[in-house]
Amino acid sequence: MSFLAPTAFAFAAAIPIVILFYLLKRRRVVKLVPSTLLWQRFLAETQASAPFQKLRKNWLLVLQLLLLTLVILALARPFFAGKTAAGRLIVVILDASASMQSTDESPSRFERARREAFDLVNSLHETDQMVVLLASAHTEVRQSPTSNKAALRRALQSCQPTDTPTRLTEALKIAHPLVKDRRDAEIHLYSDGAAPDLTEFEFEGLNVVYHQVGRRALNVGIVSAEARAHPEDPRRRAVFASVFNASSNNVSGELELRFDGTFVETRHVELGPRETSPQVFTVSQEKDGVFTLRLDVADELLVDNEVQLASLMPKPVNVLLVTRSGGYLERALRVVPNLSLTVAEDIADGGANYDVVVIDDVLPSSWPAVNTLAVRSAPTNWVQVTGRVEAPLIVDWKNTHPLLRFVNFDEVQIAEALKVRTPTWAVPLVEAPDTPLVLAGELGRQRVVWIGFDTMQSTWPLRISFPIFVANAIDWLNPASARASQAMVRAGDPIRTPLSGSATNAVVQLPDGTKRTVPIDPGQREFAFADTARQGVYKVDTGDGESWFCVNLLDPAETDTTPKSELRFGRYARALATTLKPANLELWRRLAAAALAVMMFEWWFYHRRTA
Amino acid sequence: MVDTLLSPELLPRLEQLELLARRRAKSSVKGERSSRARGHSVEFADYRSYVAGDDLRYLDWNLYGRLERLFLKLYEEERELPVRMFLDASESMTFGEPVKFDFARQVAGAIGYIALCGFDCVSTVVFPEHESDAALRTALRMVRGRKSALAFLRNLAALTAGGPANLNESLRRGAVEARHAGLAVVISDFLDPAGYEQGLGALVGRGFQVDVIQVLSPEELEPTAFGDLRLVDSETGAQQEVTFGRHRLAAYRQTVEAYVRKLRDFCRARGASFFLASSATPLDELVLKRLRQAEVVG
Repeated sequence: MSFLAPTAFAFAAAIPIVILFYLLKRRRVVKLVPSTLLWQRFLAETQASAPFQKLRKNWLLVLQLLLLTLVILALARPFFAGKTAAGRLIVVILDASASMQSTDESPSRFERARREAFDLVNSLHETDQMVVLLASAHTEVRQSPTSNKAALRRALQSCQPTDTPTRLTEALKIAHPLVKDRRDAEIHLYSDGAAPDLTEFEFEGLNVVYHQVGRRALNVGIVSAEARAHPEDPRRRAVFASVFNASSNNVSGELELRFDGTFVETRHVELGPRETSPQVFTVSQEKDGVFTLRLDVADELLVDNEVQLASLMPKPVNVLLVTRSGGYLERALRVVPNLSLTVAEDIADGGANYDVVVIDDVLPSSWPAVNTLAVRSAPTNWVQVTGRVEAPLIVDWKNTHPLLRFVNFDEVQIAEALKVRTPTWAVPLVEAPDTPLVLAGELGRQRVVWIGFDTMQSTWPLRISFPIFVANAIDWLNPASARASQAMVRAGDPIRTPLSGSATNAVVQLPDGTKRTVPIDPGQREFAFADTARQGVYKVDTGDGESWFCVNLLDPAETDTTPKSELRFGRYARALATTLKPANLELWRRLAAAALAVMMFEWWFYHRRTA
Repeated sequence: MVDTLLSPELLPRLEQLELLARRRAKSSVKGERSSRARGHSVEFADYRSYVAGDDLRYLDWNLYGRLERLFLKLYEEERELPVRMFLDASESMTFGEPVKFDFARQVAGAIGYIALCGFDCVSTVVFPEHESDAALRTALRMVRGRKSALAFLRNLAALTAGGPANLNESLRRGAVEARHAGLAVVISDFLDPAGYEQGLGALVGRGFQVDVIQVLSPEELEPTAFGDLRLVDSETGAQQEVTFGRHRLAAYRQTVEAYVRKLRDFCRARGASFFLASSATPLDELVLKRLRQAEVVG
């Protein structure tokens, strides 16, 4: 046996001091008595003339010397030079998503998960290492690999649940390189299983221990919501909402709509087990403001019971059509509601007076600085034309993009198209085998839609999809709608807002009222704020006036708080919820507490005689 | 001084009492106690034949008239009862609240006063010997007659206590020195490391009717000092360390009871009366009640 800190043996000098204290006579009160005859019985036990006779049967001294010896040995840190396997590496992933705030566990699923993680920390061996990951919309490494239990406990204690969706895949991807080459590594996942994206993750034989928290699902929540112009009356707003009942009971409650805190309407909602109910409110709106949808139901998760929706007043969009002929494009533009169209043959002042410029197969004298829909505009510095393609065949289109909503390219034939490479700023929306046919993207703060063929040389204008595409394009290019879509943020996603260039810092007011000042670098053209873990209205002041952003959960997977006893990874692998508790709990604290109790008892017993 | 020893209210009540002797007086001095001796009194005892030289005044002439023989009338001789009191004046008797020695003096004064009022001879042995009040002690050695009662009480009140007791030796010597055995009253705390058995045994063996009164102070019966103590014996000066707590009070009481019981059993085995009195006991309760119930006085 060797010692890591042999200098601690210097404390052994305390042993003679303890003995010396025992040799010293206790200070006694001198009392003259008639006779000591009646006291003989009490004399015997303290009679000690010789010092070492006094020490002979003193168990208190023996105990204290034993205690001192043990403490000195512990301070000297003895160890055996044996051979032992390297410790385990344990990666703890703590799910901090919104569903972990459910109160079916006491006090909440998150606190229960944290308690179990604490138990795991307590069971660690000295050579084991642990990593703490906090998984919400983003994964944070709260503690890098360490054996220091105090640091691990601190890291766990600092974790807080968020209002964001779960993205466990990201957490597992961070954990994967840590554990992949180690056989004794384990991933301990503390979650309720409300994670929709795990099928994308290939399991690859990871040693995942899934600690399931949550006992039942008693939750009703708003899973989607939107405020749009009313399709039939542009001056009115339609507020859409979907309410989902995740429990297995019939639930009824009230859905309340407020505008800027003023009560607008309430509606009784009745839902069967696992039923979704769409609700539409039609409201007159006089000014820009925030709609609040609040669901008044007794359930166990509050965060999905309220949604804020930013709603800006619709403004007529000024469109400049630069064309020689007009034709179908002009007709399609004229049927777009709430649009003021100007037709010209060239652009003056870069189109500064207009919201959107449409260039129809002409080469303007100056290129517009505002959002632009360009049809067969070449040459331009936006795309690099490399040739022409005869009768390109449309093979794919992205109907998930807002520009292609309800747009179908079946039976559309094109006579000729420009052959270009997809530039870095754009995504191809419609593709032929050789070239992209429609591109959309953002150049700095300018949105551009580029069509690489002459629509008049195609059958597209004869299809119903053409006017729908034009209406979608105007809507997407309208700066007001771009602002409105930016104002709706999902919890965990960053807030973005353009900068004028003069601001040096931005003040962000969080939903709880606290303000945070964020410095802005000179030359930065966009302000981004990523700390959106709490839902609510965030107000951002960058010096150009205050703008507000509504951060909402709106996640059906989080609202469905049904605890899952099985997690599926990839196609084949799965992890079952474990009921095993970590073993190897250390006993030294209890033993130390017992020793302390024994010492206190000894002390009390000793002093009881003189009380 | 007399007033402090015995209160004026108590004196008349004591005068009505007398010491009850369970044996006939053996003193040679005339007194008021019946004795086996024949002598001159009003109590007729017996006849005997006249021999030459007898006092003619005691001849029964009526009998001579009937029988024509000379008989002498014999009367009971009344002798005094020698009362011998042993008063412990050692250092250990100076303790207590009230002081044990004060109480012991009061008891001795009361018994002595009763005896003197009954025309008995009172001899008080104060031990241990003390040079400072040797004259007082000598005066207390032999007191007779009611007229000496006040002087007796005054001398008792003037006594001082001190020094180590030697109970055995004092009692044995007192027994030997007595010319006639009578009533012996021993007043002491009996806290002598050397014991008391030989002394009391000597008194009983000499033929004394022994009454033992053990005086202990309230503190000795129920200690009030606790903690880590160094006890110093007042008589021997020996120092002893004691750690004493309230929870050990019961054990102490048992020790005291055992000590007292041993003395009581010793006395009873030898026909002696035993009384335990705290120095806080009212004097009239001890003398007028307990001693009376035990027929020491009556």
